[in-house]
Amino acid sequence: MLRIYVHSLPVRIWHWINATACVMMVLTGIQIRYVGLVNVVSFRTAVTVHNWIAFILIANFFVWFLFYLFSDKIRIYHPELNPMKHFHRTVRQIIYYGYGVFKGDPNPHHLSLYRQFNPLQSMVYQIVMLLLLPIQGFTGILLWDLSRFAGVVNYFGGVRVVDTVHVLVFIVFAFYIPFHAYLGTLGRTPIEKFKAMFDGYEEVEEGQSADGAE
Amino acid sequence: MGRSPFAIGAIGAAAAAVVLALAGMTMSAFAAAPSAGDTQCLACHGSPGMEKQLAGGETLSLHIESDGFAQSVHSVIGCTGCHANIDPASHPPAESPITTKREFSVAMVQICRTCHNDQFAQWQQSVHAALVSEGNPVAPLCTSCHSPHAVIKGAAEEMDTVPCKTCHGDIFTAYATSVHGVARSSGQTGAPLCFGCHGAHNVSVPSAGQGLKDVCLGCHTDARASHRDWLPNTELHFDVVSCPVCHAPQAHRRVDLVLYDSTTQKEVSEPVGVPEFESATGSSTATRTGLDPKTLWTLLSTLNRSGVEGKTSLKGRLDVSTGVEAHELAAKSAAISDCDTCHRAGAAAFQSVTVSVAGPAGIPISYGASKEVLSSAFSVPSVGGFYAIGGTRITFLDILFVLALLGGIGIPIGHLALRVAFKIYLNRKSHEQGKG
Repeated sequence: MLRIYVHSLPVRIWHWINATACVMMVLTGIQIRYVGLVNVVSFRTAVTVHNWIAFILIANFFVWFLFYLFSDKIRIYHPELNPMKHFHRTVRQIIYYGYGVFKGDPNPHHLSLYRQFNPLQSMVYQIVMLLLLPIQGFTGILLWDLSRFAGVVNYFGGVRVVDTVHVLVFIVFAFYIPFHAYLGTLGRTPIEKFKAMFDGYEEVEEGQSADGAE
Repeated sequence: MGRSPFAIGAIGAAAAAVVLALAGMTMSAFAAAPSAGDTQCLACHGSPGMEKQLAGGETLSLHIESDGFAQSVHSVIGCTGCHANIDPASHPPAESPITTKREFSVAMVQICRTCHNDQFAQWQQSVHAALVSEGNPVAPLCTSCHSPHAVIKGAAEEMDTVPCKTCHGDIFTAYATSVHGVARSSGQTGAPLCFGCHGAHNVSVPSAGQGLKDVCLGCHTDARASHRDWLPNTELHFDVVSCPVCHAPQAHRRVDLVLYDSTTQKEVSEPVGVPEFESATGSSTATRTGLDPKTLWTLLSTLNRSGVEGKTSLKGRLDVSTGVEAHELAAKSAAISDCDTCHRAGAAAFQSVTVSVAGPAGIPISYGASKEVLSSAFSVPSVGGFYAIGGTRITFLDILFVLALLGGIGIPIGHLALRVAFKIYLNRKSHEQGKG
């Protein structure tokens, strides 16, 4: 068994800030949207916390973005340019999660320093980080000060349109976050992936990964 | 050789100035002792019960209270100041030129205008004048507010004598018990009486558009800053929530969706080319439900059909239900400042909805709409400009959220259960195979 250092410190710090902030955003979002049904904190407190965490999340997004943009780690997000190969790997991964994992089959994706993500992870993470989070940040900023951004809000059809987009993305996150956490338990042991996101090291079978192995 | 209009005007103005100067100097003397001409008039018209039948069937009182007239600001100009057309030699005429009291009052407006042209010009801009133009038989004319033979200066500035309450009695009663009315009664002249918000002659409807905000902030100049201290999105709240919504806490509230042209930023006066508007709403009152979400969306689509200039949209505004309630303003400490009052499902503020178009003189004409127009998926394209977090959320999105949450938690639980079940099954199988 080899230990490879795949999650560098900035990535780990970013990840846990991002995870905590996203969870808090969903929770405060639920409180804001469902006052009366949920009464953990007041509407005003929920809005204030939601706004502050949003700015932390936006700043954190740029930490992630700039880190990958200006480091060779961006290779982990490089897409597979051969569509047949990508399709084949994706189907294989879906079959693993949908059936193979129950039988105890090995994960078809072999982790390495620059191939950290299986095809599904790669696709989902790019959708989340390059599409959903920016949309959520953008619509959130518009909703934060509707008068200041009235021109932009009206351009998109009004506050309700902007809010509906914001809520739709919120719904996706409400689905994705628990799902993401669960998928983290599908390592060799339930805590292996979580541990790796703290110390940065992943263990791989010998012969399956060469780069970056200790 | 004829004089030029300018020369005639100048001579007239000079003469008027002299008359007014003399009138001012001798006002008290006239008030105390009527002129010989006025005495002659009052010899008959001072008799109580003097009246005559008009051709239209009404009875016109011809009695003038002598003392009241003597104290009136008009006593200085005397009877002929306004009734110059009366020839004492042939008075009373054999045939009355007055058909109805209303007709006479309308005609006499032009006499008032002779001296009070500025006020007349202001009145022409008023909601009252617009109603008169529409033929409203009770819309106020000069003499409706200013008893012509007993005009007392400053009467409109006193709680007891303000003429507005003659027609707007229920509103005045609400005002009298409001924070403004109580302050005014206690002698605080800075507290507004009717004209303070509505204007004296250019009487307007402040509730239309941004008028009310402008009126309130006209005196409460620090309100914007003080709200900014605690109210998120202050400007937005100021734009879409009328002041009485929070400052008249006992009032019923409604959402008014105003049809306006987003190109010209002006309210639409009538839904031109959409005959189904009337039938769709069915009522011009706010209490009945009319437009349902899909009909409203269809209506807007029809208004914005291809080939029509401009773009008709709906601008939402949270207001109190009635004009009476708009005057029930409470002290600042009693105002609603709890966000949860509106930002929650089922909030009272969003149970009544109207769709309005601009009527004459800015008085909105409102049509009933169902409250679902604020929570249906159709509200995204039709009521895009109005949304209150929590209060007017779209039901369909709530369903999606519940499904997403169930899926996000339920699928992992199901997957985990299957993993455990498979593990037990495989272990048992391997155990049995080991035994075999």
